[in-house]
Amino acid sequence: MTNESIKHSAIEASSPMINPQEEVINRIGHLTRSLHDSLRELGFDKLLETAANDIPDARDRLKYVARMTQQAAERVLNATDIANPLQEEIAEGAAGLKTQWTAIKATSSLKSDYDKVVDETLTYLGKTIESTSATKAQLMDIMMAQDFQDLTGQVIKKVTEIAQSIEQQLVQVLIDFTPGAPTVAKEADNGLMNGPQIAPEAAPELVVANQEQVDDLLDSLGF
Amino acid sequence: MANPNIKFLVVDDFSTMRRIVRNLLKELGYTNVEEAEDGLMGLNMLKNGDFEFVVSDWNMPNMDGLTMLQNIRADPRLSKLPVLMVTAEAKKENIIAAAQAGANGYVVKPFTAATLEEKLGKIFEKLEKAGG
Repeated sequence: MTNESIKHSAIEASSPMINPQEEVINRIGHLTRSLHDSLRELGFDKLLETAANDIPDARDRLKYVARMTQQAAERVLNATDIANPLQEEIAEGAAGLKTQWTAIKATSSLKSDYDKVVDETLTYLGKTIESTSATKAQLMDIMMAQDFQDLTGQVIKKVTEIAQSIEQQLVQVLIDFTPGAPTVAKEADNGLMNGPQIAPEAAPELVVANQEQVDDLLDSLGF
Repeated sequence: MANPNIKFLVVDDFSTMRRIVRNLLKELGYTNVEEAEDGLMGLNMLKNGDFEFVVSDWNMPNMDGLTMLQNIRADPRLSKLPVLMVTAEAKKENIIAAAQAGANGYVVKPFTAATLEEKLGKIFEKLEKAGG
């Protein structure tokens, strides 16, 4: 008979009227205890610790992506804000020149060569008006293309929330399965009951990081 | 085109999208445009300003676009204000809910300039008919 079943029968024998709910809680308690011990034996508590450390990093990276894409979007929007009035100016100037040249051509009696150049100029100016308005349409397209920032931003926000919630859950698992850490360590780091150190390398003058350092310290004290 | 001086409020939590909508409105001839970054700020601005048209996102912090729309419809001074939803929410139930709450139009992101122009045109057309 195992220890577990001995305890079990002892409970049954001593309190035959035991509440079935209490029995369930009792069993869950035992299961949790053995799960905790197994996790520890397998080194899972270290894995969980790593995961909890990795997720804030992933979150920061996603935030970085969100920030960079927003900056890119704003840069292009600024460019279109600058380019649009310039294009309008070019189009207006060309339209004005076209009107003036048309007027001169109608009133002056000049050579046919001159007329040819005037015609070419008018054609060129006409084309300029067309191409500036086409450029403007392209600039509008560039602007519209930036809507990705809103859409990817919404997705990234969601992923960040998910990462945050997983992080909280993992941290809770660590707190639940590692009694005394990390909250107790923070609350009473001047006392003698601080539990395992979560980040010993953060304060090497106060905390040892491995057994070697423990031994060295003992040596230096003459033990 | 309706009165070019008509006063717009663009409500979206993403500044990029607010600028896109503002630029599109400018391109359509509407230059009197202000911006709010969520429903709560939008509603406050609407209550204290003489806005005549609202273009709003749905999913925003503090107060979402649907709640803002419901608040607009519940406020006797704002209840007639035209509201065009421009949102990435594309579920049928979203569109039905917006319509039931009294949205005047619903544009799904990503959208084109032509779509925005068409929806605005339709809303103005209906308003003119109702007014005349």
